[in-house]
Amino acid sequence: MDLAALDATAQSELVRAGECTPAELVEAGIQRIEALDPRINAIIHRRFERAREEAARRDPARQPFAGVPLVVKDASCQQAGEPHHQGMRALRDADFRETRDAWLCERFQAAGFVILGRSNAPELCTLPTTEPQAYGPTRNPWSLEHSTGGSSGGSAAAVAAGLVPVAHGGDGGGSIRMPASCCGLVGLKPSRDRITRGPHEGQSWAGLSTDGVMTRSVRDTAAVFDCVAGARPGDPGHPPPLQGTLQKAILDFPGHPPLRIGVRAEAFVGADPPHPETLRALSIAQRALDDCGHRLEEGGPSEVDDPEIPTLQGQVVAACLAASVAEWGARIGREIPLGELEGINARTVEAGRALSAADYAKALDELHAYGRRVVAWWGDHDLLLTPTLTDPPPRLGEIHADLSPEEAVGLRRRFGWLTPPWNISGQPAISLPVHWSPEGLPIGVQLVAAPGREDLLVGVAAQLEAHFGWAERRAPIQA
Amino acid sequence: MTSNLAELDATAQAELVSQGECSPTELVEAAIERIERVNPLINAVVVPLFERARAEAVDPALPTGPFRGVPLLLKDLGCHLAGVPVYGGTRFLREHDWHSPVDSFLAERFRAAGFVVVGKANTPELGLSPTTEPETFGPTRNPWDPTRIVGGSSGGSAAAVAAGLTPLAHAGDGGGSIRNPAGACGLVGLKPTRGRTSMGPEIGEGWAGCTTEHVVTRSVRDAAAVLDCVSGPGTGDPYFASPPATPFLAEMGRDPGTLRVGCFTRNAHTPAHPEASAAVELTAKLLAELGHRVEDAYPAALDEADLGEFTSTAVSANVAHELDGMSQRVGETVAEGDVEPATWAMAQHGWSLSATDYLRTLDALHAYGRRMRGWWRELPGDTGYDILVTPTMAEPAPPIGELKGASIERIIRLVPYTMPYNVSGQPAIGLPLHWTQEGMPLGIQLVAGYGREDLLIRLASQLEAAHPWQDRRPAIHA
Repeated sequence: MDLAALDATAQSELVRAGECTPAELVEAGIQRIEALDPRINAIIHRRFERAREEAARRDPARQPFAGVPLVVKDASCQQAGEPHHQGMRALRDADFRETRDAWLCERFQAAGFVILGRSNAPELCTLPTTEPQAYGPTRNPWSLEHSTGGSSGGSAAAVAAGLVPVAHGGDGGGSIRMPASCCGLVGLKPSRDRITRGPHEGQSWAGLSTDGVMTRSVRDTAAVFDCVAGARPGDPGHPPPLQGTLQKAILDFPGHPPLRIGVRAEAFVGADPPHPETLRALSIAQRALDDCGHRLEEGGPSEVDDPEIPTLQGQVVAACLAASVAEWGARIGREIPLGELEGINARTVEAGRALSAADYAKALDELHAYGRRVVAWWGDHDLLLTPTLTDPPPRLGEIHADLSPEEAVGLRRRFGWLTPPWNISGQPAISLPVHWSPEGLPIGVQLVAAPGREDLLVGVAAQLEAHFGWAERRAPIQA
Repeated sequence: MTSNLAELDATAQAELVSQGECSPTELVEAAIERIERVNPLINAVVVPLFERARAEAVDPALPTGPFRGVPLLLKDLGCHLAGVPVYGGTRFLREHDWHSPVDSFLAERFRAAGFVVVGKANTPELGLSPTTEPETFGPTRNPWDPTRIVGGSSGGSAAAVAAGLTPLAHAGDGGGSIRNPAGACGLVGLKPTRGRTSMGPEIGEGWAGCTTEHVVTRSVRDAAAVLDCVSGPGTGDPYFASPPATPFLAEMGRDPGTLRVGCFTRNAHTPAHPEASAAVELTAKLLAELGHRVEDAYPAALDEADLGEFTSTAVSANVAHELDGMSQRVGETVAEGDVEPATWAMAQHGWSLSATDYLRTLDALHAYGRRMRGWWRELPGDTGYDILVTPTMAEPAPPIGELKGASIERIIRLVPYTMPYNVSGQPAIGLPLHWTQEGMPLGIQLVAGYGREDLLIRLASQLEAAHPWQDRRPAIHA
């Protein structure tokens, strides 16, 4: 039986039906990684022996995903005894290991998942490609010369290649949605605070960053989310309430009245016009939504073109990175000099160090005010449809850590800045793989809902999935 | 009939209007008369808005919310009306006669509930002190003894309600500023959960998430009913509090069952005043008589000594940011003499901090909040406690003048009990359960788990019925 072709829900059904044991699922996952990962470099820390031990203790009677293999990004989702390097050479060289499980990690395991390893990420998760100097590039299973996107690129590649059916990711500015788009996956960034960051952190990147998963099927996204979402006592901010489980939202969605959906094709903040293939992806998504009976109209919140916001967001993130590098230095017992960071990050951290507390508080206030202006658009709309990235996946080596400041700003123009606004506003957004270019490269579209309306996103995503059948599509590099 | 309006809480005043026994104008005129007659004795109302209030009261467009026609005061900080002054207790903004360009979401909700704003109440400069003695407006006096302070920072609001000028008043709380003046003035002061009431559209969060807005009231039912009117997210709020299953008002009189209660009065760095100990002992006895399991127990996080330093760093950075914002708004840079020396000192400290210092502090505060909240029962099946009982202010209200320019140690000695729950985001309520032998109120604080205002209201209503305070009147009362 070709386990690699099955999503997590199907794998778990085999276990429940007694056709497969948790240990067999895990063993098959390990074999796939051993056979294929050397070609794509998705998983940088393996934990196969522990995974085998854990598989023996999984309980299909109690755990919905008993024995289903999972990888977690090597940034957040900490696991006791395992490395946590965020693509940093200093942490790699110190062989830094965590001492405590993240609550998200506990929840994955309580749901029955067995973690096979940690996946590659760009240093400090700042770039939209996964090519850290510390661990080398991850290659896109749809085309080995192309980038997986970033920052959760290792996870996206692992799922696209069929190594695991589900992988954890994190998204502070698009880092789940961009690699999902580049690798042909479903990538949901949930509402702010939906998934606890504890006990290690209260919030990450001032609340901009949230964890999530990447999957091939919409039902997996919903089912995993239902297992791992939720604030924990002590979280400094709590998420907007959900109406019910996301699995139920999918079941109930066919009875939902048509949605009012705004469509915005152009990139934000004066970025370059979208690539023709991106426009094609958008128009086929638009047509499918129209066929499903939704009411589409041109336009979206005009606030997304506010030219000041990328700079303010950059300040807040730079300050968070500077604080984070200082904290990592304290944890490995020596200050991490700028010279040990990749060029672009060294500059960002330096800029972050130079910011005052009052500058930071001001920038955050302005981001909150921007979030309010943006969210107001959803007062009389249900969803916004945009491209996820304006350009198809770049080639490996095109985006690198030694980009000049001007080139770094150019990235924003090139990729459209379509994903960060919803990190600022705390809204849920999902990237869906609706199109493949003639070269066979996946191109996603993004849907954005009001805070707390993940239910609408998965409901409409399931509709589109039935229309496009993307879960059946397999990358050429495939386990 | 109007002779006893000062005795009525907001719910009772609203009933007069809904039953046609009194018009909004009559309620508002009566409040204006009380303010004109009594305010000179206590200096609680610093910006009267009488003509505006009269016009609103007669306007047929006055919303038919549950508090239609009931007069309300806004603290002059944290809740703004478009076109109405906001001085925040600063001479600088007063001299520039700064007016808010927008309505706060909270003000819109007060209006939708039917309240009529009759004026703005005194606050220490930028809400930074636990005593309401701004240089620009002078001290607010305690209706129970006008030589004493009212607490702060919502001191003008608390004094006005205690003296019967309005049945309730808006108040805000970033470190105890609802609960402490409520305690010093014999009132109910409910500080809601972080995210329960919106800070929009002006800001997303205040003091890094420590501040929250609500009211000070005489009755528990007013606190509950107003929370039903003003809670719920505003458009684009960065944080949310889980909505209650039923209205907060429905918690009145509901049996709380047997709650697990811990009591805290003193530890190594919190000496207890005998009256504060007496207040907690009285409450413990009352709760035990009501069938609750009362223990001498408290969260270990309260034994940590460095919270004051972290909060002072976080607040200082925000004071620096606030002064920068004031400069930008009025187009003139705030200079040293433009604000009080204590404010300037905090701002200077704030300006000296880097963003990295600030973020390290926020991480420490978030971690502290986690340790604190671990003591409570927050999830079904948890074994934690339901309620913590502490004093609000640590001692009966000190004389006016004593706290001006006092050391930080003296200030912390006065208000050591409230700030931890601003950091953790938990709801807490001040209740007037104890009066000293001299007849000064000394309030009790009940703290519940995150999002559990329902439990606080249920328990507070049980205590209010068992140990009523409604008939107590201060020396100065309308």
